[in-house]
Amino acid sequence: MSNVVSDTGADRKDIYLPEAATVVNVQPMTAMESFFAFKLDSGRELGHMPGQFVEVSVPGIGEAPISVSSSPTLKGLFQMCIRRMGNVTNHLHKMKPGDRVGIRGPFGTHFPVDTVMKGKDILFIAGGIGLVPLRSAINYVLDNRKDYGEVSILFGCKSPAERLFTRELAEWSAREDVTFDETVDVGDESWKGKTGVITSLMKKPVFDPKSTVQVGEELSKELMPALEIKEPGNTIALVCGPPVMYKFVILELKELGVPIENIYVSLERRMKCGVGKCGHCQINQYYVCQDGPVFKFADVIDVREAI
Amino acid sequence: MSKPRVAIFDFACCEGCQLQIVNLEEELLDLISLVQPVAWREAMSESSDEYDIAIVEGSITRPEDEERVKEIRDRAGILIALGACATIGGINKLKNNFDLDEVKRYVYGKDAEMPHLNTAMTKAVDEVVKVDYKVHGCPINRSEFTYIVRCIALGKEPVIPNYPVCVECKKRENVCRFEYGEICLGPITRAGCNAPCPSAGFWCYGCRGCVDDPNVNAAKDIMEKYGKTVEDLMQKMALFGSGQKTEARE
Amino acid sequence: MNVKKLDRAALDSWVDSLIARQKVYGVQARGERFAFAPLARAEDLRLDYDVTILPPKKYFLPQTEDLVTFKRSGEYDSVLDDEPFVLLGVHPYDMVAVNQMDAIFSSDNYDVHYMTRRKNAAIVVCDVQNASPNVFAGCMGTATVKDGFDVLLTRIGDAWLVDARTEKGAGLLEGVSAPDAGEADLAAREKVWAENVEKLQRHKLNCAPSDIPDLLEKSYGHPVWEERAALCFSCGTCTNVCPTCYCFDVQDDVNWDVETGKRSRTWDSCQLKDFAIVAGDHNFRPNAADRFRHRYYRKGKYVADKIGQIACVGCGRCVTGCVAKIANPVEIYNRLMEDK
Ligand SMILES: Cc1cc2nc3c(=O)[nH]c(=O)nc-3n(C[C@H](O)[C@H](O)[C@H](O)COP(=O)(O)OP(=O)(O)OC[C@H]3O[C@@H](n4cnc5c(N)ncnc54)[C@H](O)[C@@H]3O)c2cc1C
Ligand code: SF4
Ligand code: SF4
Ligand code: SF4
Ligand code: SF4
Ligand code: SF4
Ligand code: FES
Repeated sequence: MSNVVSDTGADRKDIYLPEAATVVNVQPMTAMESFFAFKLDSGRELGHMPGQFVEVSVPGIGEAPISVSSSPTLKGLFQMCIRRMGNVTNHLHKMKPGDRVGIRGPFGTHFPVDTVMKGKDILFIAGGIGLVPLRSAINYVLDNRKDYGEVSILFGCKSPAERLFTRELAEWSAREDVTFDETVDVGDESWKGKTGVITSLMKKPVFDPKSTVQVGEELSKELMPALEIKEPGNTIALVCGPPVMYKFVILELKELGVPIENIYVSLERRMKCGVGKCGHCQINQYYVCQDGPVFKFADVIDVREAI
Repeated sequence: MSKPRVAIFDFACCEGCQLQIVNLEEELLDLISLVQPVAWREAMSESSDEYDIAIVEGSITRPEDEERVKEIRDRAGILIALGACATIGGINKLKNNFDLDEVKRYVYGKDAEMPHLNTAMTKAVDEVVKVDYKVHGCPINRSEFTYIVRCIALGKEPVIPNYPVCVECKKRENVCRFEYGEICLGPITRAGCNAPCPSAGFWCYGCRGCVDDPNVNAAKDIMEKYGKTVEDLMQKMALFGSGQKTEARE
Repeated sequence: MNVKKLDRAALDSWVDSLIARQKVYGVQARGERFAFAPLARAEDLRLDYDVTILPPKKYFLPQTEDLVTFKRSGEYDSVLDDEPFVLLGVHPYDMVAVNQMDAIFSSDNYDVHYMTRRKNAAIVVCDVQNASPNVFAGCMGTATVKDGFDVLLTRIGDAWLVDARTEKGAGLLEGVSAPDAGEADLAAREKVWAENVEKLQRHKLNCAPSDIPDLLEKSYGHPVWEERAALCFSCGTCTNVCPTCYCFDVQDDVNWDVETGKRSRTWDSCQLKDFAIVAGDHNFRPNAADRFRHRYYRKGKYVADKIGQIACVGCGRCVTGCVAKIANPVEIYNRLMEDK
């Protein structure tokens, strides 16, 4: 081991020092989530890649890791969707345009939008707030649409009231060059779409003779899963959602023939430093803040405590 | 924004925790810069019924006190339980270990039947009304108290330790009381006091109450390793541990 | 520079001259045990100590330290502690641990807070004279240490060999006039080193340290984790006293003006119940057994895979400090060896 005392790195920058940023815009999205746009006071671009996160500081309150939800193709500002969960996130929700926060980052790994994903068919699977980090990759892919093959987006959440980015969901759904499908676990009176867990969007339709569908009545097209994987071997799947979701989605992906090496997931852990020091985010040999949050599923499949 | 109005009330206790507030000295002025005291028997003569924050010291031992603390709760936006008597029932809960009439006769002799000495099971404040913040300890730790006040001023949920006193004790580099052959309640007691007792050469007697989910069974099991008995441990725990949730779990 | 030979009086006057020149922390008695503390005079220095309650990491990664100050309007400033100091009497196993910490804090993301302190420190290592009751550094290859420090002290009979290993070390010895150590002295020092390997084995590890990662790999489901953890208080003592543990928590606090304040970090521990809890109250290591096992894996495998050394230097502090007497790494590894 080298003798560090001879290290002369005199003016190294402080990895714990936040950079000032200003709230540009805040919009409520659901009862729990609001959508924020920030810009760095220095005027520099954040310089993130889809899937990365930043540590957002509210001075006096603390710091929280938050995924950057906008695509790097969006210039001049960056966006986040923030759920009210505790001290920092509650205070962020009280902020107005012009208020200032601190930003450290971007940190962590990202979805391989510029490498492995190029030229492939892309399948995005988002559960609930998992859409937040995925949206960055989705918009990146859509902004560079010609670089990719088929693009499919599946989204599931608990109830219609919890749907995020509703305007964009509608846009994606309307696009000719995107296969879009969504479901909610439990609908309400006004919900016309599908109900059921997200994996129901991935199943090939099976005609159950005992089904309650009346003889002669066509299973309406709207309720049929839209997903069609033409070349599973050429498909890259990006999966992001609550911990419970992964197991089932991955099983279904296997069923569809998507090779395990083609699956990317984003994991969440408790984080304090974001820079691989504080130990909070550790799962086995991985520091989620450094080696993740985006992992190749094949790399974490055997890692205990990971999924 | 006008300063929040604060009222301090005492129930069954020694008022030692209020004294800790008085003893803040210079910091008392800082405190007053954030809040305006409107009722405080120990420090001011006038008093008002209009307050935003109620600080309740002491445990609830009589039915009429239950009524009084409920009224306080109704008036206050924020209710703070101050000190062990209020947060966990404190030493007052010792009496719950005995038959109440016996306690009264023991303490008051033949006056025991006088109505003002009417006594019921001792309750921590949160057994009667909702408590927003707890300032643990007997007495409270002044810097934790001031931290909580600043958090309230900021609208921030204070971060109160849910780990054992050993953490703070080790940070202060104390020789462990167990090494001196003493029983210390540090391993099951909630930190936040900065371990003054082990640092001064005493065991921790658990005045801040237990951490969530304390390993009381382990505490019993290890007694043997130190040539002690479970009774030795229980005796130590009785002082502040009486009626705490840990015991219900056994 | 050649190795010098000092008698006790010369050593003491050297130490006093250091104290006159700069901040010195040295090992001193604390009750019946020992601790590093600010040193006021050579007389108080206890180089015959067995082990300190806390390791010297507290001078590089203090129990609590301010990282940044802020204004709530959104400005931040780094807080750096750059006072030079001398650390006197570090045992070899603790020095190995400091070297490991240096690797962690200087690589990947350079931690300027830790490294500023580290670079301002001059470390005087002292070969062990008395073995503590639970030390097993001899099994971990850490009874002696080769680099990372500035001066090495070794007691040979009534004399002290003083060996400056760096320019900084030579600087510390400036003005010390003493004879060079002879062949015989250096041979005697070799003997101390060899003897210390044997002496520092109060517990005997039944495998080579390099076998530990594989051993752990096979033992995730072993019953020992649950068995032992039944007595665990999740008190964090085994990590707080550990020279290779560096986990921390970060919190903000404001001043009374509620306008300015500071963000500080404080030692945290993977043994504490809420260490891996995330918003929504999901805890990734909810049981004491999960956390108990994590510590062994962290030291014997995860960090080992990262830095190429087992992150346990055999100081034995966790063995002594654990009130439940369940934290002895040697007992665990030997047990896993038996059932392999
Ligand atoms: C890589 C990554 C990306 C993320 N991206 C997003 C995102 O895009 N949008 C988003 O909204 N969120 C995101 N999160 C989650 C977000 O970081 C947390 O919700 C946030 O840190 C909560 O911080 P807080 O200060 O608001 O809450 P805190 O006050 O820290 O606590 C929130 C809740 O956490 C639990 N908790 C925390 N600490 C403790 C403790 N010591 N003891 C007991 N319970 C505790 C409690 O349930 C508490 O109510 C992400 C997390 C990670 C790791
Ligand atoms: S003295 Fe008490 S609080 Fe301190 S380490 Fe020992 S048991 Fe824990
Ligand atoms: S060490 Fe124990 S008894 Fe002493 S103040 Fe802290 S919790 Fe109370
Ligand atoms: S694990 Fe225990 S013996 Fe090993 S270095 Fe840490 S405290 Fe010392
Ligand atoms: S994870 Fe645990 S064992 Fe590892 S450094 Fe942190 S506290 Fe120590
Ligand atoms: S010191 Fe012992 S009781 Fe405390 S956390 Fe470590 S193993 Fe558990
Ligand atoms: S968040 Fe600190 S190590 Fe990952």
